[in-house]
Amino acid sequence: MGVTCVSQMPVAEGKSVQQTVELLTRKLEMLGAEKQGTFCVDCETYHTAASTLGSQGQAGKLMYVMHNSEYPLSCFALFENGPCLIADTNFDVLMVKLKGFFQSAKASKIETRGPRYQYCDFLVKVGTVTMGPSARGISVEVEYGPCVVASDCWSLLLEFLQSFLGSHTPGAPPVFGNRHDAVYGPADTMIQYMELFNKIRKQQQVPVAGIR
Amino acid sequence: MADVLSVGVNLEAFSQAISAIQALRSSVSRVFDCLKDGMRNKETLEGREKAFIAHFQDNLHSVNRDLNELERLSNLVGKPSENHPLHNSGLLSLDPVQDKTPLYSQLLQAYKWSNKLQYHAGLASGLLNQQSLKRSANQMGVSAKRRPKAQPTTLVLPPQYVDDVISRIDRMFPEMSIHLSRPNGTSAMLLVTLGKVLKVIVVMRSLFIDRTIVKGYNENVYTEDGKLDIWSKSNYQVFQKVTDHATTALLHYQLPQMPDVVVRSFMTWLRSYIKLFQAPCQRCGKFLQDGLPPTWRDFRTLEAFHDTCRQ
Ligand SMILES: [Zn+2]
Repeated sequence: MGVTCVSQMPVAEGKSVQQTVELLTRKLEMLGAEKQGTFCVDCETYHTAASTLGSQGQAGKLMYVMHNSEYPLSCFALFENGPCLIADTNFDVLMVKLKGFFQSAKASKIETRGPRYQYCDFLVKVGTVTMGPSARGISVEVEYGPCVVASDCWSLLLEFLQSFLGSHTPGAPPVFGNRHDAVYGPADTMIQYMELFNKIRKQQQVPVAGIR
Repeated sequence: MADVLSVGVNLEAFSQAISAIQALRSSVSRVFDCLKDGMRNKETLEGREKAFIAHFQDNLHSVNRDLNELERLSNLVGKPSENHPLHNSGLLSLDPVQDKTPLYSQLLQAYKWSNKLQYHAGLASGLLNQQSLKRSANQMGVSAKRRPKAQPTTLVLPPQYVDDVISRIDRMFPEMSIHLSRPNGTSAMLLVTLGKVLKVIVVMRSLFIDRTIVKGYNENVYTEDGKLDIWSKSNYQVFQKVTDHATTALLHYQLPQMPDVVVRSFMTWLRSYIKLFQAPCQRCGKFLQDGLPPTWRDFRTLEAFHDTCRQ
């Protein structure tokens, strides 16, 4: 896999989430990108169970269990600012057994799904972020496959992002700055999605309009 | 008739010679007939043998006679004239039915065409020799007979020498690591890793580079049985393009007498790809063109250009 940048695209004024997604995908198709299937990233939040908390009254840490259709055999478990564990999908079963320690937060499931586009060596995924029944925003993921060091190709990625996001081009994701020339990995993408989901959760719910 | 005589052919002698050939043929076949029939019935065995030998002798004599006659006539026939530029084929022009068998004019055309072809081929060969694309020490245009049988000396360098040259280059560039292996006998294969940008498989023949394939840093360069995969290309368009350019570079850097300099120049050029994703095009100033970064590196200045932006 290559270096990936995940960002949020604001919903266009006077448009629904669905219409904005269509606007974006049409722009990509005009650029010459080819549609290649769909993708899905989901995330579930777990609390540390009250019984395991120490007497010091420390707050329970949140753990996020995520899946990515790009890695169908893997399951990712992340703590905010913490380590990221990459496990087999059996991990989900394990989480059920660990009910005494980690409890799933109610209605916390958030996911993004949408079309996947290939343009030269770039892979673009435009997703509709949904929580329960409502569309909450738009995610844009751009992966540049040939490069493995984020700082090497950020300028190049930026130029590509600008070509179809225009004024909504994001800044460099925080994970890019972490380690100078470390090889970019799938966990780095999941961290970006986790941060994006957290940001969207905090945002005001946009009026539900035209989500199919 | 006057025309014919002017060509210098004695027609009379010709027709006589043809009859002489016919006579010779029949006398020769008589010899074989006689041999085939063998001895005929005579009263005594002695009589039979005598008659057979006499008969055989007669036949051989007549063959001899006819042969002498033919030889005499063949001198009379004389050689065809040397005056006509097309020699005997010039006689085709005498054919009265030009319309039906335009052999002569076709022949002249073909002759002119082949003359021209030879002339142009000569010119082309001269020009090509000046800008030889051949990377071995052999000179083009040397005829096959004169070409030395032995391989040029640069192809039979000892492996130890090749190892030394490669390890010296390896030490020259800290961001480049070269791993040398010899999976198929004496020819070396290099796996060059350039920073965290790309990997290059280099197939060598002595100190000549035969083939290079450029792949991504995160791409697999081995086949299932653990050997270097020298056939499959990169999955990424950018590295397919760089592979093409590297192949061009192999033809550009050539100095048949100093193959180690060639390898070093090639590696120096290759090293400039360390900034493959970081260097904008020196012409248009952009990073991307049709989704590709500047994949071309100038052979002298090592500056980055898009494939279509280079001059
Ligand atoms: Zn350019």
